[in-house]
Parts: sequence; C-alpha cells; structure tokens
Amino acid sequence: MAFDMTMALFRPALKYAMEKNGHGKTLGLKMTEINRGEINLVFSYKEEVVGNPLTGVVHGGVIVSLLDTACGSAAMTVLNTPAVAPTMDLRLDYMHPAEPHKPIYVEAKVYRQTSNVIFCRGLAWQEDKENPIAHCVANFMKVDSKSINFSAIAVTQLRRLMPWGQRSSSEQEGGK
Amino acid sequence: MSAEQENHPLEDWQASVAAARLEKCPQSVIEMIPYASFIGAQAKIENDRLLYWLEKRPTNIGNPSLPALHGGVIGGFLELTAAVEIIYNLDIAAVPKVVDFSLDYLRAGRYKTVYAKCNVLRQGKKLINVTASAWQDDENTPIATARCHFLI
Repeated sequence: MAFDMTMALFRPALKYAMEKNGHGKTLGLKMTEINRGEINLVFSYKEEVVGNPLTGVVHGGVIVSLLDTACGSAAMTVLNTPAVAPTMDLRLDYMHPAEPHKPIYVEAKVYRQTSNVIFCRGLAWQEDKENPIAHCVANFMKVDSKSINFSAIAVTQLRRLMPWGQRSSSEQEGGK
Repeated sequence: MSAEQENHPLEDWQASVAAARLEKCPQSVIEMIPYASFIGAQAKIENDRLLYWLEKRPTNIGNPSLPALHGGVIGGFLELTAAVEIIYNLDIAAVPKVVDFSLDYLRAGRYKTVYAKCNVLRQGKKLINVTASAWQDDENTPIATARCHFLI
C-alpha cells in the first residue's frame, strides 16, 4: 500500500479548496503537508489581522481559524469518500501570545475515530514546536462512511475543482 | 486611529475607549481592533446591551459549495465580541489577554448576517469568564456558543 490512490486525488483538491477559496484565501494560509489524518499549514503575519494594536499581536480568532481549518481538513482525510465533516466543538488553550511578524505553523492530527466521531488535536507554534502558542482539541461528526469508490472520488474532485475557480462572489450571494 | 499613534499608545487607547463609552458608541471600540474590520464585525447598543453582527462577505466563506461560513470566522468573531464586551463594559487598563476558548457549533453558519451577544459571568481580580452566543434568524436558535477566559 505504498501509493494511496484516494489521497493522491484528494490532496490537490483539498489544497485548492483551502488555499484558493473564501476565508482560507483571505488569510493566505498555505498547506504544506497533507496526509491521511495529518495536516500541516503555515500562516504569514499580516497587519490586517492584529488583535491588539498596542503590541501588534495577531487576534486569537486567526488562531481559531487556522486550527479549525487544519483539524477540519485532517478529519476530512480520514473519510473514505470526500465529504465535509462538520465541527461539533473546538477547545483552544493559548499558552502565550504569538510574536508579531513571524509565521505561525500549525499541525493537526486525527488521534481517534469511532463510527460517528473524529477526534483531532492541533498545535500552533512559531519558532519552537516544544513551546507552542496554542493547543486545541476538536471533534467532528462523521457524515459519510461508505466504502471507497475511486471513480466517484475522481468525478467529485473534478466537479469540485471546475466551478470553484470560476465562481464569482455575486453568484455566491444569490445562494443565500 | 489615535490608539495606534506613537508616544503613548496605552494612554491613547484608554482615552479612545473612554470617549467611546461617553458617546455610547461600541462601534468605535471594535474599530480599534484591526481584526474586526478584517472579518467585518460591527457593534451597537440595543436595549442597554451590546449587540454585535458580522455582515455576509465572500471572504468569510469556509465551504463554497453550500455556501457556509467558515467555522473559524464564527469562532474568531465570538472571541472578538467577548473581548470587546470586556473592553467596553469593564474598567480595565489594557487589552484583555485570552487564555482559553471553547466553542460549540450547533448549526451550520449560512451565508448571511450573524448576530452575537455576550455575558460576563464572572469578573475576578485576574480572571474574567465570558460567554458568547451567535445566531442568524432567531436568537433562540443559536448557530454557535462560546465560553472564554481572559486575564487582565
């Protein structure tokens, strides 16, 4: 099982979905590693997301978004067919404020899954992974547990890739 | 604004907060935080309580195929409202530091305006506990609730 067909198809689609759409694109996050049950991403400092104008520290909400994206994506990679795993809850502990002007690295891992729930852990750090800025646990609902269907995955991925690149914001607003 | 100017940033910050309270304008407090305009969060006073809302923006979408709001944006918005609630309502010197944050997603955030209200449950000498609730159509059917600890 050296070559994981599902992941080979899923990896570019997930990367595209997270980096080139909506809030992921707005934040400018980059997915550096996508494996089954494990996601790494990096975020570069931006003045626009500062939470404390006195210190220039990024707002905690950014860390929430990064960890939610990473954990949610990690949860998606363990599903047998591409589907969204809705977040049930997320708990975040801030160990120390992020230093301004430095990138933030995030890692998320699925550490356990049952028939209905996917349990994830996430970590955010800057220079030293042993001294993280935040840690989180997040649980996701499993909405799809069908057996692997490669052609369905391929078709779904192609369908997903095509309209996303072209969809305009005005079109989305119509969807309410 | 003035809070970002050099020399005495903390004094400027406090003066801006005091001015906002005097004018009963929480919007000017929220505008002092760059992240608020990044996601499009706003605030006003309604029935003597702070009401926050997040206008719909394509940049806040998480799942474009539904489309649904990004869970992280809802979380970030609630954390922001909890901080603004403290800055505006409580007499503290600086920006409160968030220690932990817990979020329950109850319903999918649809692509429309999100409203939020906060409650300060306890204010100690060092620690403040705040809850926040977000809804879209009806306050009684929240899409997410959050609980937050801040150090002051």
